[in-house]
Amino acid sequence: MFKPLEMKEKEKASRSDESPKPREIKRRLKAVKKIRRKKRLEPEEVELPLQVAIIGGGAAGMEAASVLAAHRCPVSLFEARSELAVNVKNKYKIFPDFSDAGQLVQTMVKALDHPLITVHKDTEIVEIIQEPDAYILLDNKGVSHTVPAVLLASGYEPFDAKRKEELGFGIYDGVINSLQLETMLKEHKVVNSLGEEPKRVVFLQCVGSRDEKVGNHYCSKICCVTAVKQAIEVKRQQPDTEVYVFYMDLRLWGQGYEELYRQSQEEYNVHFVRGRISEAASTFDGRIQVKAEDTLLGQPLKMTTDLLVLMIGMEASPGTRKLGKACGLEGPYGFVRSKSVHLEDNLSEQEGFFLAGSCKRPMHIAEAVNDGRSAALEIIKFLRR
Amino acid sequence: MTTKKHYWNEYQKEIADDKYFYERSCIRQTFFPGSETAFLRMIKEELGKDILDVENQHTCTGIGFYTDIVPLETTMTIVARLLSLMTEAGYENYVPSCVTSFGVFSEIVDLWEHQPSMLAKARKILYDTTGRTFELPKNIAHPSDIIYKFREELKEKMRYRLVNRFTGKPLRVVEHIGCHYAKIFPNKGVGKAEFPHVLAGMIESWGGEVVDYPERRHCCGFGFRQYVVRANRGYSVANTKKKFESMQPYEPDFVVANCPGCTMFMDKWQYTIAEMEHKTYDKNGFGIPVLTYEEMAGLLLGYDPWELGLQLHQVQSERLLDKLGIPYNPNEKYKSVSGKILPNPEKPQYLRV
Amino acid sequence: MGNLYDLLREDVRFEEALHSCMNCGICTAICPAAEFYDYDPRKIVDTIQRRNEDEIEALLRSETIWYCGQCLSCKTRCPRGNIPAVLIAILRSVSQRMGYFVESEKGLQQFAVSKKVAQTILDIGYCVHPDTMKYEMHTEQGPVWKWYTENIEEIAPRFGANYHGEGPGALRSIRKDTMEEINKIFEATGGKELMRKVETGAKNKTNIRNDEDLFNLVYNRNTSKE
Repeated sequence: MFKPLEMKEKEKASRSDESPKPREIKRRLKAVKKIRRKKRLEPEEVELPLQVAIIGGGAAGMEAASVLAAHRCPVSLFEARSELAVNVKNKYKIFPDFSDAGQLVQTMVKALDHPLITVHKDTEIVEIIQEPDAYILLDNKGVSHTVPAVLLASGYEPFDAKRKEELGFGIYDGVINSLQLETMLKEHKVVNSLGEEPKRVVFLQCVGSRDEKVGNHYCSKICCVTAVKQAIEVKRQQPDTEVYVFYMDLRLWGQGYEELYRQSQEEYNVHFVRGRISEAASTFDGRIQVKAEDTLLGQPLKMTTDLLVLMIGMEASPGTRKLGKACGLEGPYGFVRSKSVHLEDNLSEQEGFFLAGSCKRPMHIAEAVNDGRSAALEIIKFLRR
Repeated sequence: MTTKKHYWNEYQKEIADDKYFYERSCIRQTFFPGSETAFLRMIKEELGKDILDVENQHTCTGIGFYTDIVPLETTMTIVARLLSLMTEAGYENYVPSCVTSFGVFSEIVDLWEHQPSMLAKARKILYDTTGRTFELPKNIAHPSDIIYKFREELKEKMRYRLVNRFTGKPLRVVEHIGCHYAKIFPNKGVGKAEFPHVLAGMIESWGGEVVDYPERRHCCGFGFRQYVVRANRGYSVANTKKKFESMQPYEPDFVVANCPGCTMFMDKWQYTIAEMEHKTYDKNGFGIPVLTYEEMAGLLLGYDPWELGLQLHQVQSERLLDKLGIPYNPNEKYKSVSGKILPNPEKPQYLRV
Repeated sequence: MGNLYDLLREDVRFEEALHSCMNCGICTAICPAAEFYDYDPRKIVDTIQRRNEDEIEALLRSETIWYCGQCLSCKTRCPRGNIPAVLIAILRSVSQRMGYFVESEKGLQQFAVSKKVAQTILDIGYCVHPDTMKYEMHTEQGPVWKWYTENIEEIAPRFGANYHGEGPGALRSIRKDTMEEINKIFEATGGKELMRKVETGAKNKTNIRNDEDLFNLVYNRNTSKE
């Protein structure tokens, strides 16, 4: 999709041009430098007369926007959906401290209320053309935007559990995914397929992750702590419900995560079984029968539960896959590839093209926010070079 | 309980549409010879297709292979010989009647694709021992795949539907897929491994209702060496028992299977369980009839039940035939080919016949 | 001489059958043999992965490797793409070739398998045939089967079968030249050698020289409490 310099005349004509042309951008950048030197201004004292484009209105994209604006860099934020931060909005409470996801989103959205930030919702970037010193973005409404730098923050989408047919998601009503459970918890209505309070809830880890059969060898990082959190939340709302978590490993690497696990066992009596459920089937009375091995006992087990919650992993979003491929930055599993994970993780192989957030790999919200912030600073460095 | 359909019935594997080379199944010939005859008749007469049944074919050694008494290289070369029969007859589409054979062929062809040195070896040994050469098949399809593919065309010719004529409701059918049909290579089975559609498609097309139950995917328990050796047979019957216990509350009208072994076991073990434990899984003590897909299709097409070979089943099918509205002459059931009335089989002690 | 692990690895199927195991237990979860026997495919895969010679040898001599029913349900589900059932087949192959199979009751049953299945292939070109499924050996087949096999010449033709006949058709007699080719293939590929090894090994272990007596012993004996 990175098209060569010459565009077809027809294409040029069909696009409405609100933003400056590439040559104009080059000129303006040069002019900015000249003004600085002449007036002996520090770089940060000069307002950049050019917009930076951010593709993706999630945690990383929003944070990058507000940091760029604070550094007097105008920003155009493009979000394909009608709402910002849908992936965060879909959550109820966030680990490890049970902060409210809705409030978090509100705070981040509020920060976008800034004269230098323009938010374009329902706007998908469908094409990116690379020019020297500039990128031309074409959106789904036919408008083109010419910018000196682009930040790709197009994020992830949750794994579609229907692809694991043997687990019965989308087939049996008693099988739900972790996002559906978040909604149930938010509404304080955790129910089984018959609409009743479940006597038992079973969580299954690693659905769509660590699984050659669906093509995702990687670990999605945050599902372990999410299950522990949700297990506690279920027990808080329904203390009489039995809760089981079926896992292969418990990856509780973050601050407070291991303590949450311990709390779930000591205060809430959540049961942990080391075994990966192989299949789920509906019983005659509408409950769900699962088969696993308790590997610590070395014996197969079968269990009937009212609700089976699938801890779904994170995959590259359709936007990430499409744009990553088009820009020649496609990494493993459709995520995008940064220049180097150690010291250049916000840069890409294309100069002026930056990356932030879960379009690169699974991350939790705090990490995506940090990544957006650091990408913003890289962009500022780049523009003021 | 609600079930919804997703990817599996959208997934179609490639099934050749004519010029088939038929390989007979040891178990199907032994227990359900009428099914093979019916299949050939359906393909030739009902569908007007070309299917070749050569005389000098033989076992693929599948059961020997899975009982680990026949080495891989032997099975591989025997498979090569069968393919050479196909090649010399000028055919490219291999149709093994047995599901184990289907699995064996899929495995060997896959091995040859990943390890060309093994293919070279097979060619060499076959040539050195028999002077034969062979080509890889263009397509390998199980006969049930073919019936599935042409289920609508066959439906046009069917006189009957899978409907209970007493109640007007669709018959409730348990479909059982042989393990080696889709578990080895899910991509080689219509609908893949979790919700195979090859039999479900037939049932739905022909008016019946597919029954889902918790142990639907469970092995019937053949287990190869677990049945062949009498000392191990407990394993085999235990597996089938598990399936029937699971399907019992759903009150299926009959069971259909695409693997001849599964059909035989699910039929005969009901007898064994009835005699040992005085238990049957239907309401009346007759057991649940278990049919091959050829018998199911053949009955709906109006083929005579006794020519199809239903009298060889231990669990009797008359009550099912009544539900289907298919007429049959009880006097013809135990006759010989010359019309002589043979003494009837003995009756089991517990299973009603 | 190489060790047992290397011997397993020499099998052309090994590479596909074992990549690496993370001990998730999905195979054991779905394994019918694990339901009914004291059997755990995960543990077997883990043992091989550990490459411990003593443990592998113990496995080759054990009852354990003979419980698998080769349904391949494990293959469908393993998230690392391993195939426990094929590892079992490789273990059984090595166990027979090395002679370890005689140390277990279930392993010795291979003598019966050789007679009942492999010999049948060499004699008549079928794995299974009504002639080798006599009711007395298979009472679980029921009285209808008894009736059928006692009258098969008169009944089979009703279904279009060509019992013992020439030409194509179900249950036909397979041509002599075809049988010769099958036998040649078995000889050239080590098929007959395996049968010989199994039969000699079983006879030496049990000291029973008479085929029928040995067959009846291993065919019927089930003393395992598992």
